Amino acid sequence: MADGQTARVEGGRVSTGFGQALDAATLERARRGDMAAHAAIYERYAGACYTLALRVLGEPAAAEDVVQEVFLRMFGTIGSFRGDAPFGAWLKRMAANATIDVVRARQRFASEDADGRMDALQDVAMAAEDRIDAWSMLMRLSPRARAIVILHEAEGYTHRELGALFGQSESYSKSILARALKSLDGTTHALPENPT
Amino acid sequence: MTSTGPNRGFDPDRLPVFSPDPALWGRIVRARRAAVRRQRWRASVASLAAAASVVLAVLALPRPVPPAQHVLADRQRESRQLEAAWLSFAPPKPEGLVHLRGIDAALQAAYDHGARADELAPLWQQRNRALRGLIAQAQAGANRGPTRI
Repeated sequence: MADGQTARVEGGRVSTGFGQALDAATLERARRGDMAAHAAIYERYAGACYTLALRVLGEPAAAEDVVQEVFLRMFGTIGSFRGDAPFGAWLKRMAANATIDVVRARQRFASEDADGRMDALQDVAMAAEDRIDAWSMLMRLSPRARAIVILHEAEGYTHRELGALFGQSESYSKSILARALKSLDGTTHALPENPT
Repeated sequence: MTSTGPNRGFDPDRLPVFSPDPALWGRIVRARRAAVRRQRWRASVASLAAAASVVLAVLALPRPVPPAQHVLADRQRESRQLEAAWLSFAPPKPEGLVHLRGIDAALQAAYDHGARADELAPLWQQRNRALRGLIAQAQAGANRGPTRI
């Protein structure tokens, strides 16, 4: 699974976001309920959690709710973290699950038609003449498509994992991703080179 | 792992990275404290409920009848039998009745004051003794036969 956010510094690849390592001493103190250790973990990973949630949900308040839920859950479950996987990967899974829960809950109430939105996006993409960056195009996707794009493209989830997350098949994830990327490519190809 | 390539327009690395509101950590800490308080409250309530259940279960258990109750019941039963035996001798004499009614009044007063079993038992015993005396007198009178003048 990819680290998610990474940055190149002086030619070396330095992990950021969920890819950051957590030292054993901080982890051990956090397991014992040390709030200073929890604060250190928050300091290190809150940005990654928030970024993931905001990219998928598109609303700062909802993303903060996800961060709060993830860290409250982390307080209660860090004692059971065995260290089989990197701590960041463990936390990322919690953040992804919490985010997907919100997407699912919203979809239950909104009865969103993902196909319809995707078709509408195609129209928007084909007609796009104004400057639209990757973020704003991403926000035009349905939350479910956004989640699949972000988790696959930025966070390194496999289609099998995504299918399981959504309670769907692997091919469902592939299909949504292919259509979403096609839509995004159709738009961004028309854009001038201008990194955000 | 990503699908991005040289021909791809969408590049996730171009997406902005965000930071949450600096006040969020404070809110999380407060929510954590509130959750801990709720857990403690629930644990306290559960402990109290468990303790109350134990107390209720103990109270609901059939309690052994204290010995004084047994004695009292025996004497009441004996008193009924003696009274029936005495009344079989007709008619009861008024002087015997006066003594018996005096004991009955004392018993009634004791019940009215909520006397305990160990306080009532001697009165019932006294009543039974009086009844035995009345029965003996009645039997003696019956044996002598009618008085001739």
